[in-house]
Formats: sequence, C-alpha cells, structure tokens
Amino acid sequence: MTITMNSNSTNSTSPFEDVCRQWHQSAKNLELFNELLTRDAKIAQTPKQLIWTLNKAKLYRYVPQVPDHPRHRIPLLLVFAVMNRPYVLDLRPGHSFVEYMVKNGYDVYLLDWGIPGFEDRNLKYDDYVLEYLPRVVRKLKAVTGSREFSMLGWCLGALISTMYACLRPDDGLKNLILLTAPLDFSNKEAGGFTKWVSHPSFDPDRIVEAFGNVPGEMIDTGAKMLKPVENYVSNYISLWENIEDTSRVEAWHAMNTWVRDIIPMAGAGYRQLINEFYKENRLIEGTLELRGERVELGRLRANLFNVIAEADHITPPCQSEGVMDLVASQDKEVFRVRGGHIGIMAGRGAEKSTWPHIDTWLGARSD
Amino acid sequence: MSENSETPDVFDPFGIMKNVRDANMESWAKAMTEFVNSDSFTAAQAEMLNAWLATSTPFRKLLEETLSKSMQALKLPTTDDFVRLAEQLTNIEMRLDDMEAKLDQFLESQQQTRYE
Repeated sequence: MTITMNSNSTNSTSPFEDVCRQWHQSAKNLELFNELLTRDAKIAQTPKQLIWTLNKAKLYRYVPQVPDHPRHRIPLLLVFAVMNRPYVLDLRPGHSFVEYMVKNGYDVYLLDWGIPGFEDRNLKYDDYVLEYLPRVVRKLKAVTGSREFSMLGWCLGALISTMYACLRPDDGLKNLILLTAPLDFSNKEAGGFTKWVSHPSFDPDRIVEAFGNVPGEMIDTGAKMLKPVENYVSNYISLWENIEDTSRVEAWHAMNTWVRDIIPMAGAGYRQLINEFYKENRLIEGTLELRGERVELGRLRANLFNVIAEADHITPPCQSEGVMDLVASQDKEVFRVRGGHIGIMAGRGAEKSTWPHIDTWLGARSD
Repeated sequence: MSENSETPDVFDPFGIMKNVRDANMESWAKAMTEFVNSDSFTAAQAEMLNAWLATSTPFRKLLEETLSKSMQALKLPTTDDFVRLAEQLTNIEMRLDDMEAKLDQFLESQQQTRYE
C-alpha cells in the first residue's frame, strides 16, 4: 500500500488522517457511551398536575390537550407495578403512551405508588387494594365528576387492579385493561421467576426479615438474570453499534434511565406476593383473602381487555390467559402482541402494535 | 484495496466482542437462559441466598440491637420509634383524606339543595 500525502486535495485523505479521524470519532463515541450509561435522560415530560397524595403515593392528572367536547367522557386511571417507577408509561416525547392517549382525547390519571421507605415495610396488597386504590378512585371521581372510570393495570399493577375489580365491583369500574398480568401461577415451570421462587428452599420470609424491604438491586438483578446475555452483554453492544444513530440512542437512553431507576419493594407485600400468589396460587384457587374479604374472580364484571405479550419471560402468557374463563365480564377480549414484558408498551413498535388497539377497544367503551 | 467487512475494526474497542457475538451470541444467550431456568441453578441460587442470609443475619441483628440500645440509653429515638411515628402519620393522613372527601360530599349536597 502506497501512502500518498496530498495536501492540495480536499476530498481524499491520507491513511494517517483516516486513522486520526477514526480514533477521534471512537473517543467521542466512547465519551457519549459513558455519558449514556451514567446520566439520566429527560423522561416523563407530558404536562401533569399532582392532585392527591397519601404517604408516598401520588395521583397525577395529565393536562388535557383535547377540548371537553370531543374528549372521552370516562376517565382513564393508569396503575403500574409497585417495584418499578411508573414513568415507563410516559417515557419520552413522541414515544409516550400517556401522550398518545391524552392526544386521543382521554382524561388520563396516573397512580405513582412512590418509593417505599423502611417505615413502609409492612405494606401489603391488602393496603394497596383496599386502602390506597379506593381513595384514588374516590379522588378521581370527585375531580372528574364521572361515576364511571376505566383502569389500566400493568404487571403487578394489573394484579392489584384485578383484585380491586373483584372486591369493589360496584365502584364504577367500567373498563379494565390488563397488561402482562401475573395472575395464574398454576404452572410452576413457566418462567424463571416462578421456578426460582417456587423452589422449596426459597424463603421470602428470611429475605424480608433480613432487609425489611426487598432491595431494588435484588429485584433488578433477578429480572436481568432471567436473560443474562441479553441484559448484561447484548444490550450494551447494541448501543455501541448504534451510537451514531441519534433516534436509537435517545430511545436506548430513555429506557436505560428507567431501568436504572430501581426501587425497593415493601417487605410484607413481597412476602405475600411470593407465598400467596406464586407459591399457593390463591387468586386462581379462590382462596385469597384481603382484610378478611374473599377475592372472587367471578365478581369481576367490568369490560375486560387482556393484553398478553407473546415473548414475555417475566409474565409468561399462561399466567395471564386463565383468568378469562373465571371472570363474569360479558365483554371480554384477549389481545396478543409480539414482544416482551416491557417492549409491548415501551418498545419502538408499541405505537403501532399495541397502543392503537388499546385506543380502539377503550374508545368504543369510553363515551 | 478491497474492503473486507469481516476484518475487525482496530479502532472499535468493542470490535472483538462484536465478532464473538456475531458468531455465538444467539446460542450463548439461549444456553444461558436455559441454564438460569434449570433445576440445578434454581436450587443453587436458593441455597446460596440462604447461606448468605444465615451468615449475615446474626451480625446484622447484633448491630441493630447494639444501636437500638445505645439510642435508648442516650434517650434518642430508635428506628422502630420512627417507623411507628411514620405509620401513625399515614393513618392520620388517611383519616384527613376521608374527612376531606366527606366535606366535599357535604358541600356538594349543600350546593345542590341551594339550587333546588
């Protein structure tokens, strides 16, 4: 190979210049890579107002962007899981489920359970379902003046929403949307989590006794260990490969900001989740009691839209399907989406594959 | 000089990892997922967790008791005192929330009566 140094040429560069340029670019990329891993992206930017608080829980109302008249009459309450931050529903402008629903004329409310402190270690599902959620619903009804409302529960938020719908069927819940709902744990071989926590040697009481609340790091590691190569290796290689693609980098950064924002889970709630749901499958067996009240799926009468992620490794489809035969809802539908636990709502294809279907189903039942 | 896309880029710090991944990633990911879902991993994980908790718990308890006794001796509030206080505050908050809702209901009914 002949190295030619031609200072007069503006288009061609010498190999030495090429090397320098590439090193410079690599250094810049590495700096950006480091920044993306350590700094938070701007997320949850849809304008909202805080309208209610109780302990760490907060209820937000998103500022409507559609005038009263074309807006849907029935408000929508979003309930996310208790061990992650709820802003995955409002990840970034242009790619936010909340923004999408607000623009499509829904009056949207978001329940943020907050970050439990050591003093909240005794919080159980009894409290979430029978102390917090009824008060949230009462506030929502007072603010909107509507006697009816729709509720969308995702992951453990779907579990909480389902139990609420069973215990308070006359509270005005018209439409219930469940996303990747972990409800049926009869198959102990389905999904890594179920297998791990159903093992006779796995003792949630000892974990809770040791920590009070289950550390976020423990939950995060558990979730990531279900797909270790994808989460610990491929994820970062994929970022590096696409580091010069601004839109991909923005998407990755927003999602990583959410993933890194880990929170603990109230100890008593964790113990109850593992023992009463994962190990004993009480909800499906019909033996679950919250504050002495039997939770009967046959009392769930709200219109039901059950969204299942076909490639969900956290809540395998079999944990969400069984509920359809046990509820009393006349209007019920299962909707299957190709994708994973989070991807179906926050992934790049969500605005085409999932959100419009939720909008179409809910829109027809919200006036 | 022809460009060979298979040639590792020496300027890419992840170049070697990338090549390894392209060749083996899918099967590696599948094997690891199968491994973490296996009975042996499940049992080992539970046993390791138990062993760690069994060894760390006595030390942690001793530390907590010592701290608690020291705080009590110094007439300072302990963690348990703060927890009780926080729980009481939440209960008060719930009662206030209920009262606010009842008051709103009352005012609304008063307004309706006035209009009628």
